[in-house]
Amino acid sequence: MADRLPLTTTELAQENELLRQQLQEAEELITAIRTGTIDALAVQAAEGPRIFTLEGADQSYRTLIEQMNEGALLLSQDATVLYCNACLAGLLGQRMEAIMGTSFRSFVPAEQQVYWELLLAAGWAGRSKGEMSLATANGLLQPFALGLNVLSFNNTPMLAVIVTDLSDKREISAIRARVVEQNDLLARTNEELKAQAQARQAVEQAAAETSRILEGIPHIAWTADPSGHNTYLNQRWFDYTGQPLRRSIPHDIRAQLHPSDLPVVMEYWQQCLRTSQALEMECRIRSADGEYRWMLARALPSRNEQGQVIQWIGTYTDIHEHKLGQQREAEAQQQLRTNNEQLIRVNVDLDNFIYTASHDLKAPITNIEGLVYELQEQLPTDGELGEAVTPLLSMMQEAVARFQRTLSHLSDVIKLQKEHHQPVTQVDLATIIQDVQLDLQPLIKQANAHVEVNVVACPAVSFSSKNMRSVVYNLLSNALKYRHPQRTARVQLHCQQKEGYIVLEVHDNGLGLNQDQQAELFQMFRRFHVGIEGSGVGLYMVKRMVENGGGKLTVRSEAGIGSTFSVYFRHDAQLPA
Amino acid sequence: MSKLSCILLVDDDQTTNFLNQLLLKKLGIAEQILVAQDGQEALNMLTQPAEPQAPTYPALILLDVNMPGMNGIQFLEAYQQMPLSQQQAIVIIMLTTSLHPRDVERVQRLSIVTDFVSKPLTAEKMQAILQNHF
Repeated sequence: MADRLPLTTTELAQENELLRQQLQEAEELITAIRTGTIDALAVQAAEGPRIFTLEGADQSYRTLIEQMNEGALLLSQDATVLYCNACLAGLLGQRMEAIMGTSFRSFVPAEQQVYWELLLAAGWAGRSKGEMSLATANGLLQPFALGLNVLSFNNTPMLAVIVTDLSDKREISAIRARVVEQNDLLARTNEELKAQAQARQAVEQAAAETSRILEGIPHIAWTADPSGHNTYLNQRWFDYTGQPLRRSIPHDIRAQLHPSDLPVVMEYWQQCLRTSQALEMECRIRSADGEYRWMLARALPSRNEQGQVIQWIGTYTDIHEHKLGQQREAEAQQQLRTNNEQLIRVNVDLDNFIYTASHDLKAPITNIEGLVYELQEQLPTDGELGEAVTPLLSMMQEAVARFQRTLSHLSDVIKLQKEHHQPVTQVDLATIIQDVQLDLQPLIKQANAHVEVNVVACPAVSFSSKNMRSVVYNLLSNALKYRHPQRTARVQLHCQQKEGYIVLEVHDNGLGLNQDQQAELFQMFRRFHVGIEGSGVGLYMVKRMVENGGGKLTVRSEAGIGSTFSVYFRHDAQLPA
Repeated sequence: MSKLSCILLVDDDQTTNFLNQLLLKKLGIAEQILVAQDGQEALNMLTQPAEPQAPTYPALILLDVNMPGMNGIQFLEAYQQMPLSQQQAIVIIMLTTSLHPRDVERVQRLSIVTDFVSKPLTAEKMQAILQNHF
């Protein structure tokens, strides 16, 4: 100012007026800015228009735009970038100054120009959205989403554009997808863990339940894992063995097993483990007082839903008394068998003895008979010698005859033994009795006996016809032979059915037998009555024949009153089929 | 009925042989009566003279079953091994008391025994044998 010339009054007034006008303009601008009428000033500079934004009522929006993570820009009608934020500069890899004032078309690759023009036109028409590539600083194309919106600044329309980096978005979506995937994986793992926990809990619950049940049963009970190791023993085990109660495992069962049983038990147990088949066996286990008692060991595999063996559940049941009983019974049976075999041997020996005796006695007695006869031929029958010898010879012949009769009876008995299986037919009692009565007619006549027969109601009997004849013959002839001398002989034969038997009863009013005699009645060669012809084998034979046919023979008798013989024949036809 | 040239009695019981010899002599049915006490002795008699046509060669053998040493059945088994011509010339009658069924079966299988006659031998039984087989 010091080197300038002083101004005239007119010049000063003119300058004053000019300054006044400038001041007013400035005041008006300030007012406009203050009232928010304008928020940016475009100043023409040598390099082109420059925009100066002003802080005002919209300051907060501006800050928002500056700080937001999406590109934002304003386009003039000729698509010149009037404004852009830092983010857009970052996205395109340019300085903000390099972007502002340039045409946005310079960022649109040639092949996208048509699309861009359409998008732009639609934007100016109101708003539009699209996706397209933009060229970044290093020449690479990157995908972006563009949102276009018409705005009005002081009646000057502008296009606001929001640019979103799609590559980021895709990366994020890829990450998101990965995250979702990982989340899914986590969720699945969690599910599995939860399921495993539940399964474990179920198993533990089942085990607890099993133990609770096993504690309640009155047997020794145990569980073992699939490899056969003991996992549990109930209280009964500790009570029985006297082992100190330990809840910890393993318990050694083997130590309590009888040493002789141990190898067999372990081999069988291993076999069950291999084949998953139920175990059942008997073994001895030592009790608290050192006694080995017999136990029935049983075990079953317990399976899960997939059918896999998850554990074994077993019991020991005390069968000691039962087992000892069985052993005693087996011993008794063995003894019985031995006795039976002995008896059979004795019987066979006896039969052979009787056979041999009768056979071997027959030849010499026949020879004696022949010699006596020859002697009789040689000796004189008259004179002193004849008188002395003749009765002797006749007694000898009688003795020989008696001997031969006994032999013959013995032969009959042997024959009966050997003919055990006589052909069985349906025998009509009435017919047999009639025949026998005819045979015995001389004896009946001689005894002047009354014989009453009432067997009409009797069904046919399954028996050997020959033996039946023999039975009836013996009983009837006995009744006649042993008649009472002081009264008329009365013999009644009748028949009845009784509990699966047909019973033939022969009742007489003869001599009768006392109790002692009855006990010996059926013995071979036993005779009670002197002076009455008899061999002593008749009743023995009857009893044998009846018993061989599955029946029985009983007697009721009173000495001096009479006897009743009851013959029980099996009557199978009466039995249910 | 002509007399038989020779009858052989085979029995270990001397009394039986004595009585049977007595009986045969009384009946007068044989020129000669030979006695053997067991099967072996009887077999020797059959093989030593060799000639079936010789007068001492038996036409009839009365054979006991139970004998010590070679018994009747063993004798029959040995006899079966002899030449057929010799066998055919002889009638064998077994004298038995009572035969065990097992022995009967054994004898019947040999099918060389002409007949069975139960002891004791009597004049009637001997007459019957002569009538039936000679």
